[in-house]
Amino acid sequence: MNDMSKDKNIDIQIYNFAYLDENTKRMIRRALLKALCIPGYQVPFSSREMPMPYGWGTGGIQVTSACLIPKDVLKVIDQGADDTTNAVSIRKFFQKTANVAVTEKTSDASLIQTRHRIPETKLKEQQILVYQVPIPEPLRFLEPRETETRKMHALSEYGLMFVKLYEDIAKHGHIETAYAYPVKTNGNYVTDPSPIPKFDNPKMNNNPAIQLFGAGREQRIYAIPPYTNVKSLDFEDYPFEAMKANFKCSICGSSDSYLDEIIVSDDGKRSYICSDTDYCKEQTQLNSKEEDQ
Amino acid sequence: MENNYPFSEESINSSISFRSLVNATSYPGRHFQISKLKKPNILSNAAATILITLCDNESNVYLSKDFSTDEVKDWLIFNTGAIVSDKQNADFAVGDWESLLPLDEFKTGVPEYPERSATLIIEESNYKKIKCNINGPGIKDKLQIELPNPELFINNSHLYPLGLDFYFTNDLDILSIPRSTKISVTNSEY
Repeated sequence: MNDMSKDKNIDIQIYNFAYLDENTKRMIRRALLKALCIPGYQVPFSSREMPMPYGWGTGGIQVTSACLIPKDVLKVIDQGADDTTNAVSIRKFFQKTANVAVTEKTSDASLIQTRHRIPETKLKEQQILVYQVPIPEPLRFLEPRETETRKMHALSEYGLMFVKLYEDIAKHGHIETAYAYPVKTNGNYVTDPSPIPKFDNPKMNNNPAIQLFGAGREQRIYAIPPYTNVKSLDFEDYPFEAMKANFKCSICGSSDSYLDEIIVSDDGKRSYICSDTDYCKEQTQLNSKEEDQ
Repeated sequence: MENNYPFSEESINSSISFRSLVNATSYPGRHFQISKLKKPNILSNAAATILITLCDNESNVYLSKDFSTDEVKDWLIFNTGAIVSDKQNADFAVGDWESLLPLDEFKTGVPEYPERSATLIIEESNYKKIKCNINGPGIKDKLQIELPNPELFINNSHLYPLGLDFYFTNDLDILSIPRSTKISVTNSEY
């Protein structure tokens, strides 16, 4: 075990392994374990200032820092893409401070930090998925007082949330919420899945991987353990529906992955491509193999 | 020079230890392994690892009977700054099963803050082991394990989302039973 750190010691002398100091990690680690014991409950933690602005994943990066080990293979995605500024910066940050291996392949990664997507490729046992969360409290826009929302969770008093969903139906004929669609975790706490598209909600249910959530500015950590029941809120007569743009990816042709809409010409011509860049690459390769045969 | 710190390389060893704890807590009822460290003889490697990885000067630790020795206290306080406390205030408790009973003196959290509850580290001893089925978060379908006094674990899971969280430690081996785990006794003789 000692040898591992001796082999990889480039920047570890400058920073503590994975940037955060040991005391901070202990505090975060205690919060993470309690979060795993109480699925969906938001555990307060004393979030640290990180070398990046709030809203760029300060919560996720602290959770990743507390979980990272030298032999991890890290993947970072932002809206499904490995090559956007946020993803590239965070990946570089941990290459520098923890000297871990990195990958863009979902199946090769042992720890994935994500902003607003769940990878299309199915996750495996003992993989960790760390979500960056802006507003961890699903009731916050309905009730601004923390003292009240805390009581509502304690009493499982979620009527207000159902009224909100009902009002959507009354106004629009269907539930308008398309991202950050609230879920009930382990039949108990209503939980914010972070702003993932509701297309991704079903992937949270009964997932073999470990799902951890970090909200830096709001100072909350929560978790969904593997094989946990995660149900998107709905009504018997208006059941939950995962939804995506009804097109094919114009790069790989996939019709079952979540699509981004892009404008490709000055006169507003639209095209759709996979939001998960790794999945898109994989499908493209599969297609070209089939053509070769 | 040989040092006397529990971990030879603190930040690396603690991260690897914590990862085992994450896995153990995420997959209740399964055995996970941790590594050796420098610790008092009476403590198992697994129990010592939990204390060193998680405790600091904000942690109240209850040491039951045999574990409440000067050697353990000095080691714990010197290396973590933790506070040796009574049962009622304990965030962590270490001991063999019999010595930790009754469980209802430990804090189980309050509805607004269910995480303010004790974590019990149960060292391997000669308690009566009874076959139980467990299911719930972290468990695919169900698992069969052996627990002492299953009725106490069943009571604990009824307190959910409040309750105690358990780690069973045996040398390098660690197994977790969090409050979210549902327990049923398989054998009708019990």
